[in-house]
Amino acid sequence: MNTKLTISNISKIYPGCIANDNVSLEFGSGKIYALLGENGAGKSTLVKILSGVVKPDKGKVFLNNENVKLNSPLDAKKNNIGMVFQHFNLFETLSVFENLSIDSNEKNEELRFLVNEILKKYNFKIDLDIPVLNLSAGQKQKVEIVRCLIRNPKVLIMDEPTSVLTEQETEDLFISLKKFSEEGILIIYITHKLKEVLSLCDEVAVMRKGKVVSVSSTKEEKIESLANKMVGENLGTIKKKINNFKNSEEILKISNLNFRSEDPYETNLVNLNFSLKKGECLGIAGISGNGQSELFQILSGEIITDYASIKFRNKEISKLNPRERREYLMAFSPEDRISQAAVPELKIYENVALNNFKSSNFFEKGLVNEKKIKEHSKKILSNFSVNTDNVEMKSQFLSGGNLQKLIIGRELITSPELLVCFNPTWGLDVGAINYIHETLININEQGKSSILISTDNDELLRLSDRICVIYKGKLSKIMDVNEVTPEKLGILMGGGTID
Amino acid sequence: MSFDLNFIGILIGAIMASSVPLILAASGELITERSGVLNLGVEGMMIIGAISGFALMVITDNLFLAVIGSMLSGLIISIIFGVLTQSLLTNHVATGLALTIFGIGMSAMIGKNFVGIPGKEFPLLFINLKENVPFLGPILFGHSIILYFAFLLPFLTNYFLKKTKIGLIIRAVGDSPTSASNQGINVILVRYSCILYGGAMCGLAGAYLSLIYTPQWIENMTGGRGWIALALVVFATWSPIKVLIGALIFGGITILQLHMQAVGLRIPVQLLSALPYIMTIIVLVVISRDSRKIKLNTPTSLGQIFYKEK
Repeated sequence: MNTKLTISNISKIYPGCIANDNVSLEFGSGKIYALLGENGAGKSTLVKILSGVVKPDKGKVFLNNENVKLNSPLDAKKNNIGMVFQHFNLFETLSVFENLSIDSNEKNEELRFLVNEILKKYNFKIDLDIPVLNLSAGQKQKVEIVRCLIRNPKVLIMDEPTSVLTEQETEDLFISLKKFSEEGILIIYITHKLKEVLSLCDEVAVMRKGKVVSVSSTKEEKIESLANKMVGENLGTIKKKINNFKNSEEILKISNLNFRSEDPYETNLVNLNFSLKKGECLGIAGISGNGQSELFQILSGEIITDYASIKFRNKEISKLNPRERREYLMAFSPEDRISQAAVPELKIYENVALNNFKSSNFFEKGLVNEKKIKEHSKKILSNFSVNTDNVEMKSQFLSGGNLQKLIIGRELITSPELLVCFNPTWGLDVGAINYIHETLININEQGKSSILISTDNDELLRLSDRICVIYKGKLSKIMDVNEVTPEKLGILMGGGTID
Repeated sequence: MSFDLNFIGILIGAIMASSVPLILAASGELITERSGVLNLGVEGMMIIGAISGFALMVITDNLFLAVIGSMLSGLIISIIFGVLTQSLLTNHVATGLALTIFGIGMSAMIGKNFVGIPGKEFPLLFINLKENVPFLGPILFGHSIILYFAFLLPFLTNYFLKKTKIGLIIRAVGDSPTSASNQGINVILVRYSCILYGGAMCGLAGAYLSLIYTPQWIENMTGGRGWIALALVVFATWSPIKVLIGALIFGGITILQLHMQAVGLRIPVQLLSALPYIMTIIVLVVISRDSRKIKLNTPTSLGQIFYKEK
């Protein structure tokens, strides 16, 4: 039985973010399709639309040329679209069998027979009567897959299925997926892991910033070509800054930084070593989810790890918290503006006061000196050309670009010696990007240092003096920006090596 | 103090009667909590049930209508909680507390005209057997139909949760509303239904107090039983059978310590009065020690506000 799934002009807009921008794709059974893209590229929104969890603002889905309405997860089930979510949709305290029976219409005995047949056929070994919380991640995923198989799916969507699996479990999963595909199930495999795309899938669609940027056969693709499509390779003209740091003194030295996380969704960091000179910008490239946010949090003091030496201006600061590090003139601009950098419900001047506790005289005898904070905030708004002078406005009403300017301005107005920023221009328009880039170049030229953790290769090549790549929590060798090409970055980002 | 068998039988019968409101309210709240909703309004819903049952009895002179009316009024007041927490996404704890305060005030206002009116005799079943069978007679017979229902309820609840499809769905919603919603389950509907059921059971518990146990209206007559019922659910680790055991222990020690006070033992009265609370907690903690079972029975999403992605 042949299945054809067509997505036609799907758009979904969230406040401040276009998750899917006129996405059209076509899938046919017997093949495994990869949907590749970075976090935030719009893959998950698209699969949520296909599984009926989220309704698109515009666009249609066709199954075998028939327009299917996917208004709820039940509709997806009725149309034989099966979905294995990245974060398992299982009920931890219920038994495996209860989890499977909750949405089935069969009698318990019939269902048990059916499930046992499936388990036997695909050589899955799962005890049906123990609670799900006792299963390993790989077993939980098998339960999810079995739940889909019970309903004879025509389409099976796997959302980042290997993020919590061991190597062996991943191999087993690939064998099963190939079997399903041979049996005529159309498989859509969502991932940001390039190697998996090449080893498992037949066709690959790449998404970036909510749009499909390429559809091709995996035979025609290499790791680096896919990596470039994922993060964008359209290099703009670069106004290069003046490098004057070569002979300056060392300001930051990281040695033997290790981090082991208990959370299976986090990445462990393995033996990172690097140093930074005054006036230098070190770029850290990589596909998101390879340890960037863990590294940022260790640098900012949100995570304190026992296994690291961080020397800043000749002082050991690895045990200091973020406020104490700020007092040593470090500054931080986290990845998520809304939830990490600012409190959207607070007014602009309140947000400005948040990270300036000690260095300023905003607080006197435990009371807030509103007048001083407001004056200070007005200075930030005008110095960093934020599109308002109303410090009483709630921060949530600022656009992404203006909020980012406010955050960078708030950090820089204290004249820090080092600014660590993580995806500072993520989701911004070109004008705001250029402004932020110029600001970052300016601070280097004033002899201040910066670390730029970014998933945007254009940005890294434009701003960094030296670049390295983080892959699975390990750093590549650090290269001078002049010897770096997008191709080289692509290879390193996919886990390859260069001479 | 005579220890003849019949006296012990009568004592046990009294203990059973005193635990009925706890069993009813706790069984209702247990279903509500199993769906992930923490309704701290038990006391308020009970007292509303108590006054509306009594008022209806006085007005209509019909006990059947009074009982049904008390359940309906418990249900109606729980709709307020449902709308606030499920549709308007307010905090469960704060809303529940408000419901209790509202219920107590409202019942006092309605009840003003009903103070001092004598209650009506509630029909008791198998009254002949109670007198004629020694020991077992006062235990098994001569009770109201509501008592028999209350003692059946934990077993029905247990069966319902463990063996039926709807029970499974309620447990699933309590475990993870997001997963349930992604599986196509209407989480809001399930939670509303559980809230309304809990409200009806609390209303019935109140009616038992004002129509049968002490057939009259006294302001604040629930006297904290709602809070005990809430605590029972938690300390019984959401197991209906353990709720029954806990309610009996609480009722039992309440009655026994009254007798001990009457006998005049040289133990401070305050300590005796505190005894039911202390003993119930100790016993329930001891019988619910299995941490694995606690984890499996605890509704993971308890008290969490759920809203659907759009």
